[in-house]
Amino acid sequence: MSSVIHTSALHKRYGRTRALDGLDLAVASGEVHGFLGPNGAGKSTTIRILLGLARASGGTARVFDADPWRDAARLHRRIAAVPGDVSLWPNLTGGEAIDYLARLRGARTRHPEYRAERARLQDAFALDPRTKGRAYSKGNRQKVALIAALAVPAELYVFDEPTSGLDPLMEVVFRDEIARLRARGATVLLSSHILSEVEVLCDRVSIIRAGRIVESGTLDELRHLTRTEISFEADDLSLLASIPAAHDGALTSGRARFTVDSDAVTSVLPLLAAHQVRGLRIAPPSLEELFLRHYGDQMPGTPARGQAAAGERAGGARP
Amino acid sequence: MMRALLAQRLRRDWVQLLLWLLGTAALAASSVSGVASAYGDEKDRVEVLAAVMANPVIMLFRGLPSGAGLDAFTLFLILPFLAMMAAFMSTFLAVRHTRAEEEQGRAELIGATPASRITPLLATMIHGTLANLVLTALVFVSFAGAGYDPFGCLVAGLASGAVGLCFLGVGLASAQLVHTSRAANSIAVWVLLITFLLAGIGNALGTPSGDLQRITSSWLAWLSPFGWAENSRPFADNLLWPLGLCVVAALALAAAALALQAGRDTGEALLHARPGRAWARETTFSTPITIVWRQSWGSLLGWAIGGLITGLLATSLGSVLDSLSTNIPAVQHLLDTLAGGGGLGQGMVVIFFMIVGLLAACAGVQTVCRARQDEVHGTAELMLSAPVDRVRWLTSYLLIAGVGIVYVAAAGLLGAVLGVLARGTDWSLAHDALVTAGGQALAAAVFVALTALLFVLVPRTTIPLGWTLVMLGILLGLFGALFQLPEWAVNLSPLVAAPTVVQDAVDARGLWWLVGVVVAGTAASLVLMRRRELAARG
Repeated sequence: MSSVIHTSALHKRYGRTRALDGLDLAVASGEVHGFLGPNGAGKSTTIRILLGLARASGGTARVFDADPWRDAARLHRRIAAVPGDVSLWPNLTGGEAIDYLARLRGARTRHPEYRAERARLQDAFALDPRTKGRAYSKGNRQKVALIAALAVPAELYVFDEPTSGLDPLMEVVFRDEIARLRARGATVLLSSHILSEVEVLCDRVSIIRAGRIVESGTLDELRHLTRTEISFEADDLSLLASIPAAHDGALTSGRARFTVDSDAVTSVLPLLAAHQVRGLRIAPPSLEELFLRHYGDQMPGTPARGQAAAGERAGGARP
Repeated sequence: MMRALLAQRLRRDWVQLLLWLLGTAALAASSVSGVASAYGDEKDRVEVLAAVMANPVIMLFRGLPSGAGLDAFTLFLILPFLAMMAAFMSTFLAVRHTRAEEEQGRAELIGATPASRITPLLATMIHGTLANLVLTALVFVSFAGAGYDPFGCLVAGLASGAVGLCFLGVGLASAQLVHTSRAANSIAVWVLLITFLLAGIGNALGTPSGDLQRITSSWLAWLSPFGWAENSRPFADNLLWPLGLCVVAALALAAAALALQAGRDTGEALLHARPGRAWARETTFSTPITIVWRQSWGSLLGWAIGGLITGLLATSLGSVLDSLSTNIPAVQHLLDTLAGGGGLGQGMVVIFFMIVGLLAACAGVQTVCRARQDEVHGTAELMLSAPVDRVRWLTSYLLIAGVGIVYVAAAGLLGAVLGVLARGTDWSLAHDALVTAGGQALAAAVFVALTALLFVLVPRTTIPLGWTLVMLGILLGLFGALFQLPEWAVNLSPLVAAPTVVQDAVDARGLWWLVGVVVAGTAASLVLMRRRELAARG
């Protein structure tokens, strides 16, 4: 499979701050690629470089085998992008903004096909296109940018935290749209800090931390990174001894807590059922926990958590 | 709570306010020294005042004559501009802390605290009042330092501050009317310019005293805060009650703003936005330039209307005084020297078209500043993520800036021709207007090129420095001679260096310099834009 996006040793400095510190990212043609990382890790900076809005301080970035900084305008004919924080022209309606962006990308907005597609998206996202840009909420501005990006076919779609302003219903709509793109064979780069979103949508995932890719692979390959937390009401940890898959056992405020690898959850359940535990709670890992678990000892500025075993487990879980 | 709100306002504003306040104080102080050296002799002052009586149009750019005393004469020259500085400072302050906050969503953040919706508005009122009190004190000190009569100095300071206070009210009220800070600022600035003009015209139409040293304003001037301030006549009559009118107007406007604020939702405005088009018109958008045009045409129209009015005044008012001045031979002689050898009408065209040049420069610089605003706001990112080249993107703004300049200059010329037609005067004035309009358009383009260069090289400074350059340009043009600056310094202003008319000939002056700066500046900014990345938001 040919690669649509390829960066190697990408650096970006803003004064003394290193936003990117040797980023190697590869996105193959036709895949939906999740770009995961906490705020400030360098996701948006990477996307700005890939779109030719910012220039790399070092290393190379290639999009469709061209230099995004020098060939920005030409490349953008094949790309649809949605920024993380969408601003609209205050005196243009949402509908006008969509049409305008579509025309910049070469669409003929009088064409029935475009009109039908825009109408379908407007309907799906429940957007009123007659409102002026200044009057839209954050979520509605994001919808305008999403509809503008989706209404005209592209080869590569770049979404920067696309669902950060959308409600859960709209997140479902967005997922459906990504599924359509995948079916059409388009390539998608989707940045997010929400692990579950990426899990549902993406074929491959790259995890960025402090300007570097620290993990990259299919979800199965990354499965070892995700560990589910299980807790139930208990007075002691005696039960845990009989669960070999349990890690990080702890007793806090009348609840026994432990974690298991996500693919081992089902194997633990019969035992818990047999003991008829009460108040069973199974929480899939959030990205934040994942990061704390794996990089907690290195992450600057993250608040310390009362999980004594975290650092120790980190070493054992690395491939 | 109020203390926190005030501290935040002061912290955010202090540099900006300091510049306004010190600028006003400097203007007052330099007028003192300028007048002392240029018009130190009472006989000169008497003659100048007589000339003003003969040529009342001068009063559009100066104040209300109240006598030939050194102090009263200084105030005649400078008071309207001290008041104007206070007015600009106050309207911008008012809008910045009310509508702009609301538009950016910060008002919501504050409104959710116990400060709620009304207290921040009160804080802004106090903040603006304090700023005007400091301005009053500084003007007082500037004049008192020159040894002028202390009570007169106080009246002069109060006159400036009272106008500021009045326009604080104008800013607060206009912020209640519309959704955007840009629109609110435009309304306030229009009110400011119209009332400034009203005071000038009102004085020009006033009745001169027998000794030709005083004018009694006509009723028109009494419609304007500037007219009220000037009618306090510092150092001559030292009247305080006209300043009371400013305070009453300020209170009324503030009360109106409070009432409106109390009755509406945060983010709403008195004038409601109607729903717009669901689909873009086919012809409206397809390139970056169309969207820049869509964003700019409203304000360009405003500048062009200003140009039209100025051009109209240039020829129609100029002709009035030709007939007036010929009645008094001594005055005629003086005016001839003032007008630089050309006819008086020609002199008026030259002066007025410098104002047209200023308006054109404002139109152009504002459009280039829009590029920076779009960059900070984030719409530039949307546009540049589409197949739009960086250089082409900036070119769109520069082209529209050029169109704006041509519009304003052409509107000025149209006004001048209409003036000639209406008055049935000499067609040579229209020719003079054509030449000066062209020259001033070129001068305005210099500001655009320099602002574009700033935008590419030091983006953060685009808006403040771009406008500062325009301010410096007009200050040098209008006051350079008064402050007795060396000729080379005055000629630094493109508005002064632009081609103009002298008697029957065209004086090219700095034509090639200006052309050089425009071409080099524009080319450099476009070439450098290839290397410039889009600045990160915020």
